[in-house]
Amino acid sequence: MPNDNEIIDNIANKEYEFGFVTDIEMDTAPVGLDESTIRYISEKKNEPEWLLNWRLKGFQAFQREKLPEWQNFPMPSIDFQKISYYAAPKSKKKYDSLDQVDPELLATFEKLGIPLSEQKTLAGVAVDVVFDSISVKTTYKEKLAELGIIFCSFGEAVQEHPELVQKYLGSVVPYSDNIFAALNAAVFSDGSFVYIPKGVRCPMELSTYFRINTENTGQFERTLIIADEGSYVSYLEGCTAPMRDENQLHAAVVELIALGNAEIKYSTVQNWYPGDKEGKGGIYNFVTKRGICKGDHGKISWTQVETGSSITWKYPSVILQGDHSTGEFYSVAVTRNRQIADTGTKMHHIGRNTRSRIISKGISAGHGNNSYRGLVQIGPKADEARNFTQCDSLLIGDQCGAHTFPYIESKNNSATVEHEATTSKIGEDQIFYLNQRGIDSEKAVALIINGYAREVLNQLPMEFAVEAQKLLSITLEGSVG
Amino acid sequence: MVQEPAIPLYEEVVDGFNKLLSGPTAAVAGPRAESNSLRRAREAAFGRFRERGFPSIKDEDWRYTQIARFLKDKYDLSGTFDQDQSALADKAEIPSLDSYRIVLVNGTWQRNASRGVPPSGLLLLTTAEAKQDPVFAHYFEQRTGDHHFTALNAALFTDGIFIRVDANAVPDRPLHIVHVYTADRNLLVQPRHVVIVNRNAALTVIESVVSGSPPDGPRILVNSVAEIMVEQDAQLEHILIQTAGQSTRLIQHTTVRQKRQSLYNNFTVTLPGSELVRNELHVRMEEEYSESHLYGLYLTGGRQLVDNHTLVDHQKPSCQSNELYKGVLLDQSTGIFNGKIYVHKDAQKTNAFQQNNNLVIGDKATIDSKPQLEIFADDVKCSHGSTVGQFSEEALFYLRSRGIGEQTAKGLLINAFAFDVTEKIRTPALRSHINHLIGDHIPAVNS
Amino acid sequence: MLIIKNLHAEVEEKEILKGIDLSVNAGEVHAIMGPNGSGKSSLASVLAGRKNFHVTRGEVIFKGKNLLDSAPEDRAREGLFLAFQYPMEIPGVSNINFLKTAIAEIRAHRNLPPLEAKEFLRMSREKQKLVEFDAQLVNRSLNEGFSGGEKKRNEIFQLAMLEPELAILDETDSGLDIDALRIVSKGVNKLRSDKNAFIIITHYQRLLEYIVPDYVHVLYDGRIVKSGTKELAMELEEKGYDWLKEEARGKETRERATI
Repeated sequence: MPNDNEIIDNIANKEYEFGFVTDIEMDTAPVGLDESTIRYISEKKNEPEWLLNWRLKGFQAFQREKLPEWQNFPMPSIDFQKISYYAAPKSKKKYDSLDQVDPELLATFEKLGIPLSEQKTLAGVAVDVVFDSISVKTTYKEKLAELGIIFCSFGEAVQEHPELVQKYLGSVVPYSDNIFAALNAAVFSDGSFVYIPKGVRCPMELSTYFRINTENTGQFERTLIIADEGSYVSYLEGCTAPMRDENQLHAAVVELIALGNAEIKYSTVQNWYPGDKEGKGGIYNFVTKRGICKGDHGKISWTQVETGSSITWKYPSVILQGDHSTGEFYSVAVTRNRQIADTGTKMHHIGRNTRSRIISKGISAGHGNNSYRGLVQIGPKADEARNFTQCDSLLIGDQCGAHTFPYIESKNNSATVEHEATTSKIGEDQIFYLNQRGIDSEKAVALIINGYAREVLNQLPMEFAVEAQKLLSITLEGSVG
Repeated sequence: MVQEPAIPLYEEVVDGFNKLLSGPTAAVAGPRAESNSLRRAREAAFGRFRERGFPSIKDEDWRYTQIARFLKDKYDLSGTFDQDQSALADKAEIPSLDSYRIVLVNGTWQRNASRGVPPSGLLLLTTAEAKQDPVFAHYFEQRTGDHHFTALNAALFTDGIFIRVDANAVPDRPLHIVHVYTADRNLLVQPRHVVIVNRNAALTVIESVVSGSPPDGPRILVNSVAEIMVEQDAQLEHILIQTAGQSTRLIQHTTVRQKRQSLYNNFTVTLPGSELVRNELHVRMEEEYSESHLYGLYLTGGRQLVDNHTLVDHQKPSCQSNELYKGVLLDQSTGIFNGKIYVHKDAQKTNAFQQNNNLVIGDKATIDSKPQLEIFADDVKCSHGSTVGQFSEEALFYLRSRGIGEQTAKGLLINAFAFDVTEKIRTPALRSHINHLIGDHIPAVNS
Repeated sequence: MLIIKNLHAEVEEKEILKGIDLSVNAGEVHAIMGPNGSGKSSLASVLAGRKNFHVTRGEVIFKGKNLLDSAPEDRAREGLFLAFQYPMEIPGVSNINFLKTAIAEIRAHRNLPPLEAKEFLRMSREKQKLVEFDAQLVNRSLNEGFSGGEKKRNEIFQLAMLEPELAILDETDSGLDIDALRIVSKGVNKLRSDKNAFIIITHYQRLLEYIVPDYVHVLYDGRIVKSGTKELAMELEEKGYDWLKEEARGKETRERATI
């Protein structure tokens, strides 16, 4: 049986398996950020005037805003002038058929386990693939269109459904929300757009796969999902990036709108490059995600499995505006090496009989630091609002940290809020029990971790739950003696 | 964003401090004949205060307590204290409690108002006396907290009480300290207290806070700091009962330092009255095997704002802490709970528990609860919980179905809610006193 | 004493009582039996005034007065007692303080002077003995950490202390072993008099061997489908409830056919 130190070294040395670089000809904007950068992007994307103006307002907000200081880690200095804000594979903008796709690109996604050919894709999953700044392929688009479902890249949505984009863009995360959201508003390059018409239950999982490839670029995608009355959609995003010594910035924005009786389930498996064991390199993942239950009886559910990035800063939130609406947040966050995660959620109870449920599982190993930060806010009109929060931390080794910062604010005397949090380590007796049944310590830890995270993993669509489980085991295997 | 208004008190204290330094006509009582080192400590503290100023809601520790509105009045920093107010101490009478009672009026010990037999093994001095004694002076030069109000207190404290229990001494009755605050004009009072419980000694200290001014009378802003040292194998039972009236604004900071295998128990009970109560309780477990239990009960009424900030700082291994704060919020009052458990890297085998439960009754009442864990050691058991809720409908129905009226039933349930805290008070006279205080604000509880 | 006329009630917009008629006189013991979900406990809840049970039609007269308009505590003060199927645990409220408060309020309601502490103590001791209730339990928090049997015995102890005119026992026998059942029944039998009445709700005939009822009613689907004497209970024990269900359904079909 390996001793603690060996084991801890072992986790620290675990290689990141998606760290390769694709050699492909790119169309890249010059490094730097000013108004002309924004005009360049907008022009490249052939955008209407209103969108350019909105971007410019975002840019102004970005210049006004300061980097946040409240998070539980020192904010790294980010030189926004050293980033290229646009990078797209050369040749065609969008591939009509797979034959036109650069074979190198095809090979990349095969390697990542995201085959672009519909015959090869996971059954029942439609994928929009974003390579650096640009969506390169959306599968099953036509099939979905038969039901009136719009699933396309953000760029296409701007061209083909401007009325929907204009109506909802920035309605949940305004361009002035925070510095990263403002930056995104100014320079976002692409992303996914989903519209589910009234009463339609989307028959397959919709998914976007993000890949950062080019050096010195940032990724600034934007996702907008609108579920019209009585509709349902389950959406999943995944992501990877090459191993590099410098840090790359990912500042995405996701907006979800659930109208009356609609339900949106949004799942993330985040596996950006986490940096090496000394903490060199890795993605700065500063993401703003927020949904609104606009009508009565709506539901928004966030599930996230966060294993990558050198810094994760994200708080997927729900505004529970409609009466009887429901918000959920399920999260597993793993930090090891020098990784930092400051993540959690905000549940704003505005309407009557609103419900929210928060399950957060943090796992810290190596020199990692994991913070749960959550806000449950009950407004004066949110009669009979209910919240339940369970927030657990697991520490592996004595060099890491686990932190819990829940905020509960209630202005209604009929509300019920329950928050529970625990911190513990993997029980030696648990491992011993499994050893005694013939399971080695590495597998035992994997089993225990997966059991610990089960409540969250169960929320993932089945195809991805298996992937996420594997990812967790790989990330932490053999971590305790 | 709330625009912070300018705070006139800031200019006033700056002015006051300059006067203090500039010599014999000192604006603040009793700084003459202070040692140079204390004077330097005051200057350094004032430097820290000047840098930080008064807190605003942008400060994380003050985000729910907008202090500025309590600082708008013009406060007198100097002037004589009303010496004849010790009779007000009777408001803090605890029936059938056998104790040694001392009275402080606006932070100054009124020796003539003491009652009972001073227990043996106990040394009592005024802060003014103790700070001039070379043996004790260093206790007043310590850098307690770098926060806004603690720094201000360190710079400008006037008087207070100094308590020392001899090693191995176990006084046979509790020390009851009655703090009376009263004024004929708006006053800023800044007492500083020190409690030292030496090795293997044990003491029970009960502090009562009462006031004299009528609800709409002159305001008293109290910025009080207490430093408590519980030495190896020593025990301190510390009960604080706040029943001061509406015109008092209390900001009380207590730092407790615990040595090996010591025990510190704190009860903080706040009742309707003072329009602002801010309690800061920092317990630092500096050596192994120390143990601490913190119990809080806040029953808030009217437009009162009661803010409890606690920090349990586990610095060394094998310590235990247990914290339970319960709040009952009536009327339009606001309750704030912020409890932090900090476990240092070295503090393996820590057991730390924290629970905050709130019963929201007033339909305009607000509760903001922020329990917090910061853990840097892995072999620990730490948990916290926080709840906001109402009466259990089922329990209410059960009581009513036995003929108990709705108001009485609610009273019983409030008492039952508080019971988890009150049952932990070991002195029966004190426990029943606190139950009565609760009953006074909840109709039909004292049956 | 109690007259129930065509009582209809619903919970969460679901009708659970569909027209109950029942008369109970002083000195009588009525047993209400029926399969799960027939509405037995709902009837008890409606009579005691539980929230969320809405009476949609019919009336209940208790001692000549409309019962349904009054608050749960007033019903109790008038002499109605419900022994709960699942007694609440209320930590922090001592059993004894709870009873003192209840008795004080009931007596005040009846314009009686408060009970002397001594008298209360004497009565409490006497009743503890009567229902074989452990004195230790009396001083603990209300039902907190009590076993199922202890909770039920506490209900009977309260019944003894409050001396109601009408006591409703809601499945008091469920979860009791044979000894506890015997103790509980003995207590009830001792408390029976020609001034009070009992409604005993039970699923099994077992309890009725100990507490012999004057009348037995069978509740099914929110209605009393059969009434009789204790022999009916024996018959139910033998044949189960199915034949009554059949009968009830048949009756319903016939009724529908005639419409």
